[in-house]
Amino acid sequence: MFRLVPLLSLLFLISCGNPTRNDSAIVEVEEGTAVPATEVVVPPEKPDAPTADPVAELEGFWVGDFENADEEGKSLYVDEGFYWNRTNKINISLDQIAEGKVTGHSVVAGNDRPFGGTYTAASGGGYTFTVREPGDDRYDGTFSFTVKDDLLSGTWEAYKDIDISKRTYTLEKKAFTYNPDVMLEYNTAFVDWTKSVEKTSTYDMGDEVEEWVTTQFATATDLIYELNASNELLNKSEVENLKRGDLTIIRNTIYARHGYSFKNRPLRLFFDKQEWYIPVHADIRADFTEIEKQNIKLLLKYEKNAAEYYDSFGRG
Amino acid sequence: MIKRILSYQSLLKLSAAAVLAYFTWLMLLITWQYIPVRFDVAFLKLKEPIAYRHYQVAFFGHVYTSIVVLICGIPQFSQRLRLRWPAVHRWAGYAYVGLILLVAAPAGLVMALYANGGWSAQLSFVLQAVLWFWFTYRALRAIRKGRVGEHRDFMLRSFALTLSAISLRLFKWGIVALFAPPPMDTYRIVAWAGWLVNLGLAELWIYYRIDHHLKI
Repeated sequence: MFRLVPLLSLLFLISCGNPTRNDSAIVEVEEGTAVPATEVVVPPEKPDAPTADPVAELEGFWVGDFENADEEGKSLYVDEGFYWNRTNKINISLDQIAEGKVTGHSVVAGNDRPFGGTYTAASGGGYTFTVREPGDDRYDGTFSFTVKDDLLSGTWEAYKDIDISKRTYTLEKKAFTYNPDVMLEYNTAFVDWTKSVEKTSTYDMGDEVEEWVTTQFATATDLIYELNASNELLNKSEVENLKRGDLTIIRNTIYARHGYSFKNRPLRLFFDKQEWYIPVHADIRADFTEIEKQNIKLLLKYEKNAAEYYDSFGRG
Repeated sequence: MIKRILSYQSLLKLSAAAVLAYFTWLMLLITWQYIPVRFDVAFLKLKEPIAYRHYQVAFFGHVYTSIVVLICGIPQFSQRLRLRWPAVHRWAGYAYVGLILLVAAPAGLVMALYANGGWSAQLSFVLQAVLWFWFTYRALRAIRKGRVGEHRDFMLRSFALTLSAISLRLFKWGIVALFAPPPMDTYRIVAWAGWLVNLGLAELWIYYRIDHHLKI
């Protein structure tokens, strides 16, 4: 009888699956960031007609927190230092303001939505706007805001009954220029995820943030503040010793520099905390420099390998 | 009279055999990734020299023969096999020795020169390939001259290096699980530990004549 013990344990181990490779490993590349095989032709933007109306000075990007107005809303706690009530960084772009009419678009959480509406001069100074999104997207709604003293503040209400149907915001005007030299800031106000992972608790939010924090961010090192994948070609020796979290963050920092608006919730949370980061586009496929294209390819190669083989019984 | 069926020793041996069988199974799974011949799978994705013809020959020669070497080597340490079916021991032995000397060790040496991890890992793999060849050759020469004790000792050393295929991967798994160091640091550590630990254990085994005590 005892002789069967080793044999049975062997059969048990074999039936447990294949520890030589992590088959469920996923390296996420969002559609809007995929490096195209062929060049994407982007039609040149029409130059704005010159205008003398002072309200036209409000044209541009207004950036800030798109806050959950519902106090009962779902939120995320990480340690004591971090509390996320599902605020996202939003960019309300006022594209054309003239003769009582305004057109523009908003970029938030990977959504780039157009809007159009009207404005009037407010009684206490400034202007009051009411603009509507088309309504063919589940997350469309109406913005009502006032621009006064260099601040754009107001509310947004969804047409449909969605998770968070009312938002508030106070935004500042910001200019966006692609800067390949900008680096991640070591923000001290930012939570040290590595220390607080065990205390992470999520409330009815799925496990994606927690999962990302433990498998990605917690494994990142200070190299994410040193390596720049936009302004110099990385070589094999710089990349081969990077951990998975480093690889993911360094690659996604390329996207953030181009103003990519992340659909992925943990990445969005991470980059929203960067002062310089402005969500501008939901699609940056045509924007990469040659250096970035090559670095993305290299980083992805090692990232996939790390995901599949780093903690497996094997070489990788 | 002690019932042989409950013998502590036989249970130990059976367990060791089961552990070896399990890891050999994992090595089979790893080898399976490289069938049919493809240059863009698993470990090869990070190997630039795979573009060279001689590296391709060395890599696939090493991978396909080493799994056979491992499987041929396992039963050789059974006293029962050697006594009851000496011909099986002999022919499995010829396969083991022939594949190492003609293919697996020379191919391993070529691969060692291109190893990831810089000079340290390369030196480790070069040494390992040379010693693997040397121990195996000495074991062959000893048995051709009828020196059984010397044959046994060198085969123990040779097989210790054969098993580094398993121990290197096992150490890597353990180090990552415990300390999660950066991948290339891990690789440099296991490049050395993977065979030095085994060879050290083999030397202890030989020095203390453990096989005599265990009647293997």
